[in-house]
Amino acid sequence: MRNFRFFVSFAITVILIVLLNTSWQLGATRIPPLGKFLDPFHGFWQNIEPARLAGPKEIQITGLKDKVTVVYDSLLIPHIFANNDEDLYIAQGYVTAIHRLWQMEFQTHAAAGRLSEILGAGPEGRILNYDRGQRRLGLGYGATHSLEMMQKDATMRMVAEKYTEGINQYISTLDYKNLPFEYKLLDYTPENWTTLKCALLLKSMAQTLNMGDKDMEMTNALKLFGKETLDLLYPDRELSVDPIVDNPGGWKFNPIKLDSVPMAVPDELISIQKLPGSDPTVGSNNWAVAGSKTATGSPILCGDPHLNLSLPSIWYTIQLHAPGVNSMGVSLPGAPGIIIGFNDSIAWSVTNAQRDLVDWFKITYQDSKKDKYKLDDQWVDTKKVIEQFKVRGSEVFSDTVIYTQWGPVVYDETFRSEDELKNYAFRWIAHDASQELLTFFKLNRAKNHAGYMEALDHYGSPAQNFVFASVSGDIAMRIQGKYPARRKDEGKFVLDGNKSSNGWQAYIPNDQSVMYKNPKRGFVSSANQHPADSTYPYYITSTSFEAYRNRRINSVLSESSNIKVEDMVKLQGDNFNLKASECVPILLSYIEEATLEDTARNFVATVKAWDFFNTETSEGASYFEAWWTELMPMIWDEMNNDKVMLERPTSYTTIKLLKEKPDLSFFDIQCTPEKETAREIVQKSLSLAVKKITRWKKDHQAEEVPWAEYKDSYIGHLLRLEPLNVKVKHGGNGSIVNAHSRTNGPSWRMIVSLEKTGVKTWAVYPGGQSGNPGSYFYDNLIARWVADQHYRLMFIRSAEEAGTQALYSTELNPDSK
Amino acid sequence: MKFIIQLTAIVIVAFILELFMPWWCIAIAAFAAGYALKSKVNFLAGFLGIALLWLIKVWILDATASAPFAEKVAGIFSLNKALLMLVTALIGGLVGGFAAMSGAALKKEKRSDFYHPQ
Repeated sequence: MRNFRFFVSFAITVILIVLLNTSWQLGATRIPPLGKFLDPFHGFWQNIEPARLAGPKEIQITGLKDKVTVVYDSLLIPHIFANNDEDLYIAQGYVTAIHRLWQMEFQTHAAAGRLSEILGAGPEGRILNYDRGQRRLGLGYGATHSLEMMQKDATMRMVAEKYTEGINQYISTLDYKNLPFEYKLLDYTPENWTTLKCALLLKSMAQTLNMGDKDMEMTNALKLFGKETLDLLYPDRELSVDPIVDNPGGWKFNPIKLDSVPMAVPDELISIQKLPGSDPTVGSNNWAVAGSKTATGSPILCGDPHLNLSLPSIWYTIQLHAPGVNSMGVSLPGAPGIIIGFNDSIAWSVTNAQRDLVDWFKITYQDSKKDKYKLDDQWVDTKKVIEQFKVRGSEVFSDTVIYTQWGPVVYDETFRSEDELKNYAFRWIAHDASQELLTFFKLNRAKNHAGYMEALDHYGSPAQNFVFASVSGDIAMRIQGKYPARRKDEGKFVLDGNKSSNGWQAYIPNDQSVMYKNPKRGFVSSANQHPADSTYPYYITSTSFEAYRNRRINSVLSESSNIKVEDMVKLQGDNFNLKASECVPILLSYIEEATLEDTARNFVATVKAWDFFNTETSEGASYFEAWWTELMPMIWDEMNNDKVMLERPTSYTTIKLLKEKPDLSFFDIQCTPEKETAREIVQKSLSLAVKKITRWKKDHQAEEVPWAEYKDSYIGHLLRLEPLNVKVKHGGNGSIVNAHSRTNGPSWRMIVSLEKTGVKTWAVYPGGQSGNPGSYFYDNLIARWVADQHYRLMFIRSAEEAGTQALYSTELNPDSK
Repeated sequence: MKFIIQLTAIVIVAFILELFMPWWCIAIAAFAAGYALKSKVNFLAGFLGIALLWLIKVWILDATASAPFAEKVAGIFSLNKALLMLVTALIGGLVGGFAAMSGAALKKEKRSDFYHPQ
């Protein structure tokens, strides 16, 4: 009896332990091993950071040559003081991993198409499909090319290898207790970092910024609407344009001339479930004003890159100090060096360069085996790559991707395309090797304009508008990237992949890039608009060019003098809605107030009285945005075609057409018997917007509709777990200088005053230094980001200088092992 | 009295083992105390011992927290913070309870041998 009782209770104990030590997949969610996860001594409770934070005083690190001191300031920004470059990058890797390891690994897994290893195939196979898409787009293919180049250059190799070493040193210290929270939640452990992952991370940035295209949409539009309508709806250059570099007649070089080969456009309609490209609402602002326009007489440089806002924060702020370098700014967790920032002599920031860097080539296979494809009247071998996916909780999935000389064939009958006869190969600039790491290594150490120019000569992708200012008084802008020299209309449509002459023949030489220095107007600026005036000798096309932020910034800067840092803070947070100011008068001209019901009349009155500022409390902003979001799809209902992919024209073009061509056939709503013009469509969208606002008031039991409430923005955790998101009540919107839409916005705001007595910087970002959602530093900067209250950054020359401003400091010592 | 000693022993031994071993060391502590300090209510001692230890630890971690993290994690599991704390204590308690019960069941009762000499 006693034996039996022992046996039963012991068995229950063992089974309980096993069950509570195992994770379970329940539908779409993974339940962590509950005993392990909830144990307060090792489980997730250990990720709760105590209010009194202090790190270790000393850490032993293998591979260091000398002692390194890391001082953390009150924002948890590390200031690294090393005695040589090798140690500097080991320390950067180590320190970044302390705060961002999970994010770094997750993002590179996402880039490489390996998320299903962690998350399983997902509901309806969505995660596996995402992974397949990433592999088929060739991110790994591009990263491998960059890695090969990295290994050939002594500097890049050193930087990447030392950074990797630092990360791996940190990983080797981890046990379950101090694993980042997300590993515990999803029940897996980090793998070793590699230099390939550094390359992958930069390619994924290129995917975010430089992978937009509308070639297939334009091909369809050309066939459906004809050339004349196409040029009307999708002009290469919109009239408003205030280009980044306005230098008419000033392009004094001999451009590359290409034999004008007619671009063979396959005459067909394309129906593919296209993978999302770069989000066109992701943009950025940057500008620099010369000393002649500032109160101190020294240049001021400002930058705010806009991205999809997420937590852990996209950026990690850091200061790197070693002989020959003293640089501070933001880094991308997973990439060594500082991407946007300043040093003792210069400052720089980036916005995305809008340029078509993607082409699709139609492939003709010899037969269904797809072993050969046609190129210049010959059958050429394809290369088949078998991609393996170690899907968690399931069998390994294999996918064959066919590579041609153009690049991978992304869509075929097994992936997002039903038609096995239509195969398109993908050519993307980020497939090529590039040397960003060398650029940032040099930029971090640059002393002047010449140093900046030399650093940028190595820069390929993602193409960016690099703004520059120096203590010596120069300001400059350079639009740098690897750009194919395009013939007229090249790249706008899907190309015939049977002819190699349709490919990229040459690249624009670096010294013919769009750039200038110290222009007469006393400032340089960029906000994703068209790069150059119409006399620039190369053909430029892009998915879209921003039409509003650039004009607002330029008009404010032109009118300003005696500029102070406060003025720049104000401009970064500027909520003036230029688009609305141009659009509202046109909309109102089509409204006959006398015929409106009370609610609609009040709606119109509010819009009429609005000052066009999207402030947090503005009600007019809510009404206008509601109206606009009803209007756009109603006008462009022709573009909502299940069978054929099409793209809506831009806001700018839409507003222009509303005003100038009210009888355009596109204003007719297809599903109604009557014929609408601009007037009817404006009126119909108004009544929908009124209904929407009335419903919102009812749902929220509110009398008023403040813009921040209506916009309801949030910053989401990378795993899309709602409780880890942070809700934000903030003004602004896309197309506004304060470009904070519901989920995208300024991911870093920086203002650098390059004074001879020392460089001073103010900055803030929507997040925090720590990636740990159990830390105060996970989201501590958001409130001041919303309030436009930048922090003055601590930029020091020695560890001792930090004094009482230091939160704590850690010494990294060489381990003798 | 015996129960109190047993309970205290479980809390202390489990606490010490937790510093060096994975979470299931709580079962070792409860099992040992069930065996060596057997009481009439071994399951209860094991359950309360571990539940209390875990609850107190969780309470301290939460009280000194720099961010409202327990609330967020509770949200992921559609619970509130108090419930998450109770679930934590319950899970530790169950393992502790059964482990203590098994330890006690393994031990021969000397006294019963005394009363029944055959």
